[in-house]
This record gives sequence, structure tokens and C-alpha cells, in this order.
Amino acid sequence: MFQYYFLLGLRSLRRNPALTALMVLTLAIGVAASISTLTILHVMSGNPIPTKSDRLFVPQFDNGPIESYKVGDKPNDDQMSYRDAVNFLNSKAGERRTALFGISMPLEPERKDLGVFVVRGIATGGDYFNMFEAPFLHGQGWAPEADQRGGNVTVINRKLSEKLFGDADPVGRRVRMGGFDYQIVGVLDTWSVIPRYQHLIGAETAFGDEEDMYIPFATAINNQVGRNGSTGCQGNVEPGFQGFLDSECTWIQVWFETATPGDRAALQSYLDSYTAEQRKLGRLKRNTPNKLYNVMEWLEFQKVVDNDNKLAVWLSFGFLLLCLVNTIGLLLAKFSVRASEVGIRRALGASRREIFTQFLIETTVVGLVGGLLGLLLAVGALALISLQSKALATVAQMDWVMLLTTFVLAVLAAVLAGLLPTWRACQVTPALQLKSQ
Amino acid sequence: MLRMKNLSKVYRTHMIETHALRGFEIDVKQGEFVTVTGPSGSGKTSFLNIAGLLEEFTDGEYVLDGVNVKGMDDNARSRLRNEKLGFIFQGFNLIPDLSLFDNVDVPLRYRGFNAAERKERIEDALAKVGLASRMKHYPAELSGGQQQRVAIARALAGSPKLLLADEPTGNLDTQMARGVMELLEEINAAGTTILMVTHDPELAVRTQRNVHIIDGQVSDLVRKSPSLSTVGHAAQA
Repeated sequence: MFQYYFLLGLRSLRRNPALTALMVLTLAIGVAASISTLTILHVMSGNPIPTKSDRLFVPQFDNGPIESYKVGDKPNDDQMSYRDAVNFLNSKAGERRTALFGISMPLEPERKDLGVFVVRGIATGGDYFNMFEAPFLHGQGWAPEADQRGGNVTVINRKLSEKLFGDADPVGRRVRMGGFDYQIVGVLDTWSVIPRYQHLIGAETAFGDEEDMYIPFATAINNQVGRNGSTGCQGNVEPGFQGFLDSECTWIQVWFETATPGDRAALQSYLDSYTAEQRKLGRLKRNTPNKLYNVMEWLEFQKVVDNDNKLAVWLSFGFLLLCLVNTIGLLLAKFSVRASEVGIRRALGASRREIFTQFLIETTVVGLVGGLLGLLLAVGALALISLQSKALATVAQMDWVMLLTTFVLAVLAAVLAGLLPTWRACQVTPALQLKSQ
Repeated sequence: MLRMKNLSKVYRTHMIETHALRGFEIDVKQGEFVTVTGPSGSGKTSFLNIAGLLEEFTDGEYVLDGVNVKGMDDNARSRLRNEKLGFIFQGFNLIPDLSLFDNVDVPLRYRGFNAAERKERIEDALAKVGLASRMKHYPAELSGGQQQRVAIARALAGSPKLLLADEPTGNLDTQMARGVMELLEEINAAGTTILMVTHDPELAVRTQRNVHIIDGQVSDLVRKSPSLSTVGHAAQA
């Protein structure tokens, strides 16, 4: 019977083409609006590293000054001072750990036709590449000695490699940045992580470009590479670079990786004992609780998906609701002229349930067609949104989950809109209907 | 085939009660061709709707082909309607956007026949009414008489025990009406019981039995011997 009703539904689309077109269009526009905003939210709030998002942690504690501190205040900053970052790097907490901060340097290419240009990247530990599953095209991350001694080595991304060396493997070659020659030890393949959770603070957007290059943390300190990011300073800062390093200024992000999600408690107690120890040394005067954030918690805490994005989704669903109300009206009109058909079918042996099924499948067909058109419109809308900015282009991508969601939403919307008209259609008293013919 | 005992039908609004049928008694035997006559508002249509299980009755008893229909739910009534009854209406009541084939197919779908059996029955029924060659046509492409023939084919396709006809010739000119009437007589001769509501006294006298309804009651049962000439004429047609 399903097939019969489905065919009747298809045929019914042709019965009143103008009304059908209006209904399909109304539904499609509503679905397209909600799906395109939902897609963006879906991509933005996706898990960038599902395999270990519950094993990567950002520690947070408060090293702000006691002056003007009130109990219950939020921590002064989400980043770390140099001293704490180095202490963490030298600790044995977790399986792996890394510290990072944004840098930018002028790059002087060998090819004179390119001219000097600025590259942006991060200074970090060699574990970074393993912790965040960076894909290597050539070579690998630097050796632990480079972290300890601060060797002039670098990992660059594919785009920069191709710009400088074409398709050749540049591992072993040198590149001059910020007045120093760095030996290339590895090239990362295209690495589209959405959002870029590893380096959120100080980055313009969580949906921006990949880093151009990476150099060892210690090297960046030795070479006093220009920082590119945010720095928060409170209290006394002695003059000079060493004075900055010794201060309580916060400008470094630290990540820990644990072997299992369950090791979180051990990491938390390490963090608590570390801060207790530092208090004994006369630091960390505030009493804010220490925190650990795993990847998804960190994205939430950093408001990667801001309230505007959520509001847009709510608004678009409000719009879909409006479209649904319209569709209900159109369906009522469409079905009201079918009363005689209902009467005939009832007389010929259709039960109310069968009429209900027939009309509901008919609205499902409308939903499917609306979903198909809605999908096309949504893809078009996303393409338009992508034109606005690079960051938007990164998130305005439809995946199969959203593809499926579109159809489910469209059919659900149509069925929902069809319930009242269908129920009304079933209430036709065949006797009355047949007499009035 | 159809027996009603002390049946009543009351329409209630918050203001008034209208007794459409009261103390209604009728017994139609298998194979009979019965015409139902009576003035407007006498209860003919109520009787036909109740007989056709399209409306429920208020009180009394109604047995259709041995099945007591009182208290049946919508599903059971619909199934019974589909299996035992065929309807022919004054306005033909074909579904305009279905071909003749698909129109005749409607009751067979609800019966649950498989595709092969449905096809055979549809072709048989349309052949019986002389429209086998126009299966792919749509109702609007046919004359009124032809449309009524399709409606008859649709009523016959499920091999009903009882055919209920409500003014089947009311919308047709004399010649077409005669053709339809002859077809009904032929069907009756082949064994199907027919109950036909009509205003036309000429048609009423052609059948074996005429039931007259006045004020919701059977006022007069006119029983005649079967008109051999009519049957013979129909058989030749």
C-alpha cells in the first residue's frame, strides 16, 4: 500500500501545480534557511580531534595580583607565565606536554623574485606534532635536543614549502626568518582542523588559516622572536627580555596529553600540588580554583561558537516555523478540495486510517521534494556565505550528517504541517460528501 | 442478504431531533432487484447510507449477508463495505485524475489483491461494461453514460454481493439511462442483488420489487412477479 500511496502522492503534485510549487518553495526556503545556519553551527561546534579530545587538557590557574581581587572572581587570564610554562614542560605530568605562543617573522626567500614577506606561526615543543596528530608530507618534527638546546630548526606547512621550493622536498634546506637561518626538518601536509583549537588565544579566529611555520619553544626564546598574540601583564615587570620572562605576564598556552581520559584526576591533583608549591614560594596569592579543560570544554569556555551563531539558528528555526504555518494553510486548501475523493475512497472501502496514511504519505512526498529543493538552496546559500570571508568558507561546508538532517527536517516539517490537514481530511463523512456531488 | 429490524435513525442538533427512519423494517433476499422510491425527505438516502455502512444507525438491528453490523468499528465496517458492497452514485463519483483503469483499481487496492489479480479483475469489469478499449482514458474524456458505466465496472470489480445505486440514471439522458438500466438488469440476472433508489416511476415498475418510503417508514411493499420480458431483453442486449 505504501508504494500505491507514494505514487498517488507523486501524481498529486501535478494536480495543482501552482499550489504544489508554492508549498514546496515555502518548505524549501524554510528548510534552507535553518539548514544553512545549522550547518555553520554544526561545523563550528564539531569535535576537531575526536580520537583524543578527552585526553588533551589545558590547565588554568590564577597568577593575578591579590590587589583588587574579590573571592569568586574569574581567573585573571587563560594563559600562563613563562616560568609556569617552563615548569610544566620540565614536569612529568601527563604522557606528553607542550607550550606554545604565536610568533611572526619576516622571511627572506632565496628566490629574489618573491621578495621579503611575513610568516606567522607558533613556537612550541616537538611533542606538539604528535599530540595534535599533525600530518607530515616530508620529514618529521624536530628531535628533543632541539627543544632543550634551542636549535634553529623549523617545520613549515605545505603552502609555504610550495611557495619557496615548488614541488621539491625541502627537508634539510635552510630558510632565513627574522635574521636567522632555520633548517627545515619537516613539511606538514594540508591540515584542515576546524576549529583550530590548539592555538585559540591571540589567533584572529578559530576558523583561520593554518600556521605557516613552527619553531622550537626554546629557540624562539633564545632568538627573541617577535610574539604574535595577546600578553597580559599585571604587577611589576623588570626591564629587558629577561625581566619579561621572569614576570607574571601571561602569554603562553600549555597543553597536556594523558594516556586515558581517566588520568584527568591525576593531572588535576598534579596541578593542585604544583600551585600549592608555588604558593609556598610566595606566588599565586589568589585563591581561585585550578581548572582543567579538555578540548570540547576548552572550545566552549573560549566561546568559539558565540551567542550570535546560536541566535541565528534560533531565528532561522523561527522562520521555518513560519513557513510551516504557511504550509499548513496551503495543505488545508489543497486537501479541502479533495473531500469528494475522500468520500469516494471511504465508500469504496478505505478506513479512516487508510485515508490518514494516504494523505500523510502525500505530504511526505511534498516534504521530500521540498527537502531536495531546500538542499539546493542551502548549498547555494552556503556558497554565498563562503564568499564573505575565508573563515566563513571554512565553516560553510555541508557534510553527510547535514545532508541527512536536511531530509529528515524537511520530511518531519512536512509531516508536522500535514497532520492537521490530514486529520481534517479523515473527518469527511462519506455519505454527506457523496450526496453533494 | 439485507435485513433491517425496527431500525431507527435520529439526527440530533442541540435544538431539535429529526427522525429520519423509525421502526424501519426491510428484508431483501439474495438475487433481488429492489427499487426504493419515496418523496424528498422521506428517508431514502438515510436508508441507503445506513445500508451502505456509510452512516451509523441509532437503534434497531441490521444484518448484512449474515453479519450483524451493530457496534462495528470503522476498520471492520470499511472492510465489510469493501468486500460485500458496490456503490453507484447519481454523480458517478469517479476520481478525475485517475485513468479508468486506476479508478476501477481503487476498491481492489483496499481489498489487498495482488497486481495480477487486480489487473484481471479490472480488465474483466471494464470489458463487461464495454469500455475495455479505453482503460488508459480519463473520466473527463468520456460521456456521462460512459462514466456511469465505469462507475458500475468499479462497483463490480470486487464481486460484491449487493449493489447499492443512488439515482444511477438521474444525470443521464433517456437513451443513456436506458443503456445503464439494461446493464444493471444484466448484472442482476447474473446473480448480484441490487438496491436502487430512484425518483423515476418508470424504472420502479421495471424491477421485481418496489419499496416505498414515507416519513422514515416502509409504507408499502409492492411485490411483482419478475418481468420476464425485461430480463430477456437485458440478456439480449
